[in-house]
Amino acid sequence: MRRLISILAAILLLPICARLDAQAPGGTIVIVTGEQATVPVPTLIEGAAGTRANQELADQLFLRLAVRKPGRATSDEKGYEPQLARSWSRRDSLTLVFGLDPRARWHDGKPVTARDVVFTFGRARDPQIAPSLAAQLQHVRDVRAEGEYRVVISFDEVYGEQFFDATYYVQPIPAHLLASLPADNISRSDFVRAPVGDGPYRFVRSVPGESVELAAEPGFFLGKPGLARVIFRTATDPAARMNLLLSGEADAMASVVPPMSNRTRLERTGDFRLITTPSDLLGYLLFNYRNPADTSRPHPILADARVRQAMTLALDRHAMALSQFGPYSVVPFGPVSQMLWLGNVSPKAPRQNVARARALLREAGWNDSDGDGTLDRGGEPLSLSLIVPSSSIMRRDIGVMAQEQLRQVGVRLEVIVLERPVWQERFVSGRFDVAFGALRQVPSPSSLIDSWTCRGANNVSHYCDPAVDSLLSTAIVTQGNAAPMFVDALSRIEQDAPATFLYAPLEVIAVHKRYAEVELRDGSPWLMLWHWHVRRGQDLPRDRVVIH
Amino acid sequence: MRLPASTAIRRALAAPRGRAGVMALGAIVLFGIVAPFALPDPFAQPDIVTGAMQAPSALHPFGTDQLSRDVLSRVATGARVSLAVAAVAVALSMTLGALVGLIAGYLGGAVDALLMRLVDGAMAVPRLFVLLLLVAAWERMPLVALMLMIGATGWLGTSRLVRAEVLRLKDADFVRGAEALGARSGRIMFRHLLPNTMGPLLVAATLGVGDVILLEAGLSFLGMGVRPPTPSWGGMILDGKDVLTAAPWVSIFPGLAIIATVLAVNLFGDALRAASDPRET
Amino acid sequence: MRWLAGRVGQAIVTAALAVVLAFFLMRAAPGDPLSRLGDEHPLTPQQVQVLRARYGLDQPLTAQFRAFVAGALHGDFGTSIQYGRPVTDLVLQRLPASLLLGTTVLLITFVLGSWLGAAQALRAGSATEQTVGALSLAAYATPSFWLGLVLAWLVGIEWRLLPAAGMHDPLLAMDAPWATRALDIARHLILPALTLAAVNIGATMRHERSAMLQALREPFVQSARARGLAERRIRWHHAFRNALFPVVTLFGLWLPLVVAGSVFVEKVFAWPGLGALAADAVSARDYPLLMGVTVLVSLMVVGGALVADAAYALLDPRVRRA
Repeated sequence: MRRLISILAAILLLPICARLDAQAPGGTIVIVTGEQATVPVPTLIEGAAGTRANQELADQLFLRLAVRKPGRATSDEKGYEPQLARSWSRRDSLTLVFGLDPRARWHDGKPVTARDVVFTFGRARDPQIAPSLAAQLQHVRDVRAEGEYRVVISFDEVYGEQFFDATYYVQPIPAHLLASLPADNISRSDFVRAPVGDGPYRFVRSVPGESVELAAEPGFFLGKPGLARVIFRTATDPAARMNLLLSGEADAMASVVPPMSNRTRLERTGDFRLITTPSDLLGYLLFNYRNPADTSRPHPILADARVRQAMTLALDRHAMALSQFGPYSVVPFGPVSQMLWLGNVSPKAPRQNVARARALLREAGWNDSDGDGTLDRGGEPLSLSLIVPSSSIMRRDIGVMAQEQLRQVGVRLEVIVLERPVWQERFVSGRFDVAFGALRQVPSPSSLIDSWTCRGANNVSHYCDPAVDSLLSTAIVTQGNAAPMFVDALSRIEQDAPATFLYAPLEVIAVHKRYAEVELRDGSPWLMLWHWHVRRGQDLPRDRVVIH
Repeated sequence: MRLPASTAIRRALAAPRGRAGVMALGAIVLFGIVAPFALPDPFAQPDIVTGAMQAPSALHPFGTDQLSRDVLSRVATGARVSLAVAAVAVALSMTLGALVGLIAGYLGGAVDALLMRLVDGAMAVPRLFVLLLLVAAWERMPLVALMLMIGATGWLGTSRLVRAEVLRLKDADFVRGAEALGARSGRIMFRHLLPNTMGPLLVAATLGVGDVILLEAGLSFLGMGVRPPTPSWGGMILDGKDVLTAAPWVSIFPGLAIIATVLAVNLFGDALRAASDPRET
Repeated sequence: MRWLAGRVGQAIVTAALAVVLAFFLMRAAPGDPLSRLGDEHPLTPQQVQVLRARYGLDQPLTAQFRAFVAGALHGDFGTSIQYGRPVTDLVLQRLPASLLLGTTVLLITFVLGSWLGAAQALRAGSATEQTVGALSLAAYATPSFWLGLVLAWLVGIEWRLLPAAGMHDPLLAMDAPWATRALDIARHLILPALTLAAVNIGATMRHERSAMLQALREPFVQSARARGLAERRIRWHHAFRNALFPVVTLFGLWLPLVVAGSVFVEKVFAWPGLGALAADAVSARDYPLLMGVTVLVSLMVVGGALVADAAYALLDPRVRRA
């Protein structure tokens, strides 16, 4: 009987559910961001303009050849879905061929052709125009057009990340509008003031310091966007951003946590869902292997691996992460953010072990001989300084937690808060004992090379383990299962403790409940915004707009 | 027309308002000196996961902060830094401001033009970069140096206030009279004009107390001033900024401490102004 | 008139010297524009070299200074490193918001503040006067972002009476009638203006009260009384005029706020003014943008001093022009 009722109820409710998910016409989303996009044009998102805001806006205006499906490894060529390219194939282990979708159009009506792709790669690979992009594309040997709609990309070596390199970094820009402009004039041109792209949304207007408005491109070749209007609204202050959500003036925001109290406040309104995606962020305390006063000499305290290991073990990293991110972070094993798929295959980070930490320090010759609570060796106290940028209250708070926990084992850590550019200068030049770093990783494991190999461009602490270097360089060119090699490299890094890896958080995104088909992508959460729509019957006055 | 400072202070202390102000200030200072001995360790972080941002309770009358530390202990301990900075910096900036204002206003002419253009220029240059240079040159700046520095850079506005007052008064009968009697400039400035500029000077000092306590916190963001975990009222307010709605007690109590200090200073300052007015009977 | 011409000349020279000093201080301070880039996305030394050349930072300091002066004389302050847009555009885009908020706040603070301060002096010692005085001082000692956050929470979120942040409603159509747009801006203006006025008014009130108390005992007030003038006229014509000196000085000191704004309040209310823009430019070491703002602010600083000096002479003819 009961079963019968529930079946009946299901049958009766079915049409209602279906109608609930039906799409309301129009639809608006107001997304709050911390910065305003001022040059949302691929190949210009370089140097100081290399901001998330610019990239997120560019992701609405400009397409990639293909985008990675969520959760798939970057080296998995089957893990991508078509965008500008309708199809792709391999000519050989060094050559990829992309067939462009002939339906693709620039917002001025002109077709997107192989010429645009070749033109953009030309700009992107020129270190004078786009120094960062050019470095990322260093393995691309040649890009050429075969006819209107076929692009051939060849590489100078066999490696697993070819497809990623070919599709992730470059979003084609219109050659017919830009080829005649000198590259360094684009940023002051009318094109930047009102960019013409090929994506699901076109540029409408920018209100300085406040907002950027986009409108759906009704004839978008991959399907009509489900939301007619997208507004990116800027508030540099985190409290002001929250206020815009809570007051109902905005519909979505990324980076809601930390602080955790934001979650409680949003839940209380009942209007928002919190959705998580893996974040590219990694926080760590970096130990200097060299003497900050003279970087040709070893660090008097930290050159000893036992001290670094002891400091790592003395910290309750799980409690630290919990206090700032609640459930939304893990303690990483090695330098691995959650967006890097390596996180899924590596072991768990060890827990706090104060007894072991004490033993290691004793073993390294550190004892409290004068009874002042701080360990010493040969008359020298075990006293270190930690440099923290003042721009991040969270990093400073975690720094003070570390200070207190290290005090328990007799290590004195002085927390030095520095204005951000000053901190950066000290960090880059290696003038620190311990530095609180926070890195944003690209989704490919190739990002490990920069910071954790002997000659890495960003290896400021002079950590060097040739075994790690060779494991990483072999793993990256391996086609097939490279995971065990990566995990080996990570284990060696963990063992040597060049840094204490503190947190690898999830990106927590608040989205108003009236949207359906909400799909968020790691790295660029709003990438698939054009799939979203407002549920019929739940639309607000601001949703009632028509696509022109 | 002249009134020794000691007389003015004695008269101010005799007035009920003046006495109340001094007693309140004394209570705040005493709180900062004695209370930390009776309260929990202001640096201890008993439980960073479940003990953080606890609302005020019997155990933690002012609640706990984001690191589970006792806010009451931190307010008490923070009084030391904040009150010391306020006292030293305000005293120094008032002295310098009065001096420059008197000289510029009374001597006038080229001296005035030069001094005031220097003041303008100093105000027009972004102070932040001067401070950053100082941090770079002097990493471990002691607290005393910081207090003196805040004082030495905070007198510009005061000097203009004092100068304006002197400009208004220097043709007054009592100045003319003293000049006619052959009094030297120094005597006229300090014996006759200074007591008459006590009004704006004391108001500026009262207002300066709050400003300076917050400024110290701002400087700690540049790497100057007290380092974590040492608390100061201004620093606690800035720390609590992002959780103001979730855990208001983290910053409200140090804020109330600043307000109480300013009001106490104001009571005494107002009494002192009345007492130093030569025409007051 | 000759006094004014000389004084304006001095002011311009002072501003120019301050700008020159600021230029070199900025470059001497630690950190550089490219430092912002390395924290999250590391750059190699070669990349840094290319970017340095792009922003002209590889030139000797004197060459950079010459370029700055040459450009500035034509009103061109170069391209902002951080935003990739011409500095002049950025500053001019943000200036109206600063002017609107700053002027509103200065008007409230000085007109209402000096009147309230004078009224306090006339009722000195009464319970109401004491309470008002304590409240205004407490407000002054309150950090502006506190009051801002509380107002935004109460009025913007709990009651939803006014917008919680921003200057324009981004949903308002571009072709809306001007009255609708003006009303929209006014609604956004109320909370930030109220916050700033509330925390600042204490200063004018305190100064005016103290000055008025003194002025009421001045000989010329006594003699006016002796001449049998109406008390009302004595108070508001003779005493109040004389008591405006500190307030006028304060006005001169605060005039630069009209362009420099209040960083905290602009941020808490996401008000698109120059203050927050300049503060962010500092931490990005965006030299061109900073110099653009510095020129504007130093002109306002010397201008404010000039206005105050001129006002003294107007208020009291006895003041010999210095």
